[in-house]
Amino acid sequence: MEFKDYYEILGVAPDAETSDIKAAYRRLARKYHPDLNPGEEAEANFKEVAEAWEVLKDDTRRAEYDELRRYGGQRRQEFEPPPGWQSSARPDFQHVSGDFSDFFNSIFGGAFREEEVARDFGFRGQDVEIEMPVFLEETIHDSVKPVHFEIPVFEGGQARPLRKSLRVTVPAGVTDGERIRVKGQGGPGQGKGPAGDLYLHIRLVPHPLFDVEGHNLLVTVPIAPWEAALGVKVTVPTLSGKISLTVAPGSQSGQKLRVKGKGLAGKTGQGDLYAVLKVVMPRTATPEVRALWESLAEKTDFDPRANWGNRS
Amino acid sequence: MTASVTRVTVTELCEREGVSHTILVTLVEHEIARPIAGTGTDDWVFDATGAQWVYKAVRLHRDLELDWVAVSMLVDLLRQREQLDRENRLLKQRLARFLAQD
Repeated sequence: MEFKDYYEILGVAPDAETSDIKAAYRRLARKYHPDLNPGEEAEANFKEVAEAWEVLKDDTRRAEYDELRRYGGQRRQEFEPPPGWQSSARPDFQHVSGDFSDFFNSIFGGAFREEEVARDFGFRGQDVEIEMPVFLEETIHDSVKPVHFEIPVFEGGQARPLRKSLRVTVPAGVTDGERIRVKGQGGPGQGKGPAGDLYLHIRLVPHPLFDVEGHNLLVTVPIAPWEAALGVKVTVPTLSGKISLTVAPGSQSGQKLRVKGKGLAGKTGQGDLYAVLKVVMPRTATPEVRALWESLAEKTDFDPRANWGNRS
Repeated sequence: MTASVTRVTVTELCEREGVSHTILVTLVEHEIARPIAGTGTDDWVFDATGAQWVYKAVRLHRDLELDWVAVSMLVDLLRQREQLDRENRLLKQRLARFLAQD
C-alpha cells in the first residue's frame, strides 16, 4: 500500500510543534469540511487531513509513525509495516470503523483488533444519505418508490461496495429539502452494533407546467392582449385534471388568480393553485391587424410610463 | 416494502453520533436541535430533517473544535444558505417561465 506522509498532507515540517500542526489542521479542516463544502473531492481531502491529525496529535502515535516513516517512508508505493508490528497506542473506538485509510488501519487499527473490538462492543452501521428525486404528482398521496444505492462495507480493514435495492414509502405532502428516514437500511452494524439508517433527501423534480411555493402551486397562463382587455374563460391544468378559469376584463400581466385547494398536500392542509397571467404578444401581424393596433394607439391616451414622472 | 418515517426519538438521536443526553440538551438550548414533540427531555421527538442538522453540528463541533455558540451560529447560517439556495432555484425557474417567449 501507499505510504502516507502526514506531515506533507498537513503542510508542516516533520519537526513541527504540536501547536503548529494543530493550527495547520484547523485551517485545512475548515477548508475541506464536508458539511461546509459539498462535493466528494472536499470529503476525500478532509478524511486525509483528519487522519493525519489523528496520528500527529497523539505523542505515542506520532513517535511510532516517525519510526515507520524512517523505516519505510522512502518506498512510497510498496509500504508494508514491519513483520509483527503492533501499535501500543490506544485504539480510538470512535474511529475504528471505516473512516480511515488502509494505511492507517494497518498501523494503528489492525484487522484483528478491529474485529475483536467489534465483537465485544459492536459498532453501529454507517448512515447513508442519498438524494431522492420526487415528481410533484407523487406528493399528492403516499407513493412507493424504488431506491438503489451502494454503501461501502468494511471487513478486515478492506472496503467493498454493497449494492442495496429497496422500496420505500414517500409520505404525502413531502417538500423540497425534507429528509425521510428509513430505519436500519444504512450500512450493516459490526458485532453487536445495530445497522445504520438511510436518509432520503427529497428533491422535487422541476415540472414542465407548475412551480412550487411552499405548498402552493403556480401555473403561468399565457393570454392575448385582447383577452386581458376584454376578459376570457380559459381552461387551466391542475395536478388533478383541468379546470375552467374566468379572467376578468382589464387583467394585468403578472396578476395571480387563486384556485383554492388545488395545490400540494401539506401537513397543515391542502395548498392552493395560483394562475399567473402572462400577456403575450403575437409574433407577427397581418396588415389588417397592424391597422387595428394603429387605430387603438390613436384612440387611447394610456401612458404605461406615467409613474416615471419627470425622471424619464 | 420498507416503511419510512420522518421522526427520530431522543434515544435514537443520541445513539447515532454517540451524543450524551446532556449534550443534546445543550444542543436544544442553543436551538441547534428543535424538538417537534414531547414535553420532557426524555420523550423529545425530532424530525428527520432536524436530526440531519444535529449530526452536522456534532461533526463540526468535533472536527473543527468549535464551541457550541460558534456551532449554533454556523448551523444557523448553513440552514439559511440552504433555504436561500432553494428559494433562488425556484425563483429562477419561475422567472425563466415568465421571460420565455411562447
